[in-house]
Amino acid sequence: MPYLPKLLFLLFCLILVGECGKHKSRKRRWSGTLEGHKHGAPLAKKVVDGTKTRKVKTDHLLRVDDHDFTMRPAFAGPAVPVGVDVQVESLDSISEVDMDFTMTLYLRHYWKDERLSFPSTTNKSMTFDGRLVKKIWVPDVFFVHSKRSFIHDTTTDNIMLRVYPDGHVLYSLRVTVTAACNMDFSRFPLDSQTCTLELESYAYTDEDLMLYWKSGDESLSTDDRISLSQFLIQKFHTTSKLAFYSSTGWYNRLYINFTLRRHIFFFLLQTYFPATLMVMLSWVSFWIDRRAVPARVSLGITTVLTMSTIITGVNASMPRVSYIKAVDIYLWVSFVFVFLSVLEYAAVNYLTTVKDGKERKLREKAKEQSLSCTCGMSHTRTMMLDGTYSEADANSLAGYTRAPMATEEPPEKQERMVVHLALDNESTKKKGIHGFRIIQNTHAIDTYSRMIFPGAYIFFNLIYWSVYC
Amino acid sequence: MRPGFGGSAIPVGIDVQVESLDHISEVNMDFTMTLYLRHYWKDERLAFPSGNNLSRTFDSRLVKKIWVPDVFFVHSKRSFIHDTTMENIMLRVYPDGNVLYSVRITVTALCSMDFSSFPLDTQNCSLELESYAYNENDLMLYWKNGNDSLRTDEIVLSQFFIEEFSPSSGLAFYSSTGWYNRLYINFILRRHIFFFMLQTYFPTMLMVMLSWVSFWIDRRAVPARVSLGITTVLTMSTIITGVSASMPQVSYVKAVDIYLWASFLFVFLSVIEYAAVNYFTTVEEMKKLQKGKLPAFDAAQAMAFDGCFHDTDIELTPYPQMTNLSVNQRPPSQNSSCITDPPPVVGTRLRRGRPIRHHLQLVMTNSYLIDSYSRLIFPLAYLIFNIVYWSIYS
Repeated sequence: MPYLPKLLFLLFCLILVGECGKHKSRKRRWSGTLEGHKHGAPLAKKVVDGTKTRKVKTDHLLRVDDHDFTMRPAFAGPAVPVGVDVQVESLDSISEVDMDFTMTLYLRHYWKDERLSFPSTTNKSMTFDGRLVKKIWVPDVFFVHSKRSFIHDTTTDNIMLRVYPDGHVLYSLRVTVTAACNMDFSRFPLDSQTCTLELESYAYTDEDLMLYWKSGDESLSTDDRISLSQFLIQKFHTTSKLAFYSSTGWYNRLYINFTLRRHIFFFLLQTYFPATLMVMLSWVSFWIDRRAVPARVSLGITTVLTMSTIITGVNASMPRVSYIKAVDIYLWVSFVFVFLSVLEYAAVNYLTTVKDGKERKLREKAKEQSLSCTCGMSHTRTMMLDGTYSEADANSLAGYTRAPMATEEPPEKQERMVVHLALDNESTKKKGIHGFRIIQNTHAIDTYSRMIFPGAYIFFNLIYWSVYC
Repeated sequence: MRPGFGGSAIPVGIDVQVESLDHISEVNMDFTMTLYLRHYWKDERLAFPSGNNLSRTFDSRLVKKIWVPDVFFVHSKRSFIHDTTMENIMLRVYPDGNVLYSVRITVTALCSMDFSSFPLDTQNCSLELESYAYNENDLMLYWKNGNDSLRTDEIVLSQFFIEEFSPSSGLAFYSSTGWYNRLYINFILRRHIFFFMLQTYFPTMLMVMLSWVSFWIDRRAVPARVSLGITTVLTMSTIITGVSASMPQVSYVKAVDIYLWASFLFVFLSVIEYAAVNYFTTVEEMKKLQKGKLPAFDAAQAMAFDGCFHDTDIELTPYPQMTNLSVNQRPPSQNSSCITDPPPVVGTRLRRGRPIRHHLQLVMTNSYLIDSYSRLIFPLAYLIFNIVYWSIYS
């Protein structure tokens, strides 16, 4: 009887201790909250973490280990159709020297693999990254005629796998590929290049895997911001064909075709304009007095040197093709024009020397016969001042002209006739006068050149630009 | 372990389809080729029962689990199996155990090139396949279809013309490891000459012709002829440097070197020719001065020729001080101030007493003859050189 109140008291104490403990822990939690408030972070409500339960593992969900994924879906059955969708992110570079182009694209594959279907009430897909790819079957698409390619792997492999409950799979990856493109430079730099990127399965033929464009012509989409510095992208379009390999059979091949048109402006500024200026500079030589030998020769030869440098500069960034390019035609014709201006001056100089030699002989003869001549006036001072050799000097030093002069004396007519007979070999008088004039006035060649060279060059330009534009 | 381990050698057939020849580098003396390499062998462990006798195709993941031949490329610098989007490997297994194993590879291999006829040359390169571990007793490599085993896509190279592709096979001996089967893919490349014609030969020819223009210009125009000669030498030098930039530094002379250096010599000789003409002209005029028979001095024309101002019409060439001249000469009284250069102070001395051959004396007294002869000799010599050169190398 006395133990019952003791037992009750003990029980009461135990309950009290328990309550104190709870109170303490509540206090602790309360202080925790206080601490939290001090540091500014609110206490979050505890959420049940679904991934920590053992049942929800990817492998078990998708039953990856139950199947042998080295074999394609419907193995030994009909071909599995794989739809392809491409979004071109950028055209990185187009190299003429290597004859290739580099493109970055998002490549998406769509197929159905029943081994990957899983039960789901919400019909939502599940998304995975690159780590699942190694465990399941994916189509082995490769780029035919590619030189180098890689799947981007920063920060992890840029691969996405989305599995739908019925087994449909979307497999997307980001690839940069450098592929060969046969370029034809016969109209360079006024050319258009058509390049293609070809997708094909490596292992599976037509009977095992059917590649097709998922949405027909709309399967290929491009970013709006694709732009190249040197080219204008005219259009992108898709086609598909079959390719035959004699040892392995028929394969489906998908093509991404695009056409590029080169911007001419850079080459106008870099090549055509300097070449044209050099040719025009060589025409300056026809306007300089024919007796200024160093000037005309160095002008001609320096323009030849500059044209040679321009030609070397253009070929440095081009592949060594075995046919002639449009820019080659222009540069070489310009070079020939410049070269001809040097030859023209050589002819002028040579004929001048010949003429001077003959006139000197005539003058000496005249001196011996003590005839007066209108020669020998010193015009050196005027020449030094203005640097030109005027017509009067030429005529006076020549001594004998066709046109009668005021100070002429009758005996000069005899000389003129002698000169005429000596120098004129033509049968008719008219021809003779003309021939004599050419020989006497060698700067007639200059006069004609002043018209012929620019005329011919303008004509060449008209033909060239109308053919290539 | 290989099929038939411990028994007879396993025969492995090889089939190659060359996709492209990417790049042929003279500087590195190598070439880069992309090819589909196919192996055929029989492994009884892979046989499986089949009703319809169709083969089964697998991709690269099966390769790690079975035995495949370990073929490598001898003398290769770099090579890789393409792996976008998956490793470009195909495995096809037939019910009786025959296996077809196909790989897409890009390989950069060494090719010893001989440039003594560059750019009119033909290069012979070969790609060699061999098993790394298994020698003749374990693995026999052979071309599956003999001469038809080697197929090529349409390969177009910009600089070369591919004359032929041919397979061959041989045995290679390694002193430490024995005899190995080696298969060769040989191809012959002939260079297109057109690019070098346009880039090198044609400018060189034009420069040489331009140097001949100097013979037609009056010999009194000293600055003109000298600048013409020296600028053509400069341009030739630039062309020579440009060609050497893209070539390996070989220790023998190439065909293009012969042409460029011969042309350089012609251009150089035209400068030397003018130096001779000028020298003999001066000598000639000294002699004439001695005899008192100078031609009429045209100050204006002389000024136009050489850019120096001549004040009076004295019949002298611009050499004001002379020594060793005879008594009856006109005293030099000429003011001459050149715009560009000061006149040379010392005139030429006359040589006396040495016996000279007749035609050389003729040339000395008539220095314009040097020019006249040069106008014929130089073009003729260059033409002969061209005929000889192109007949040897074409």
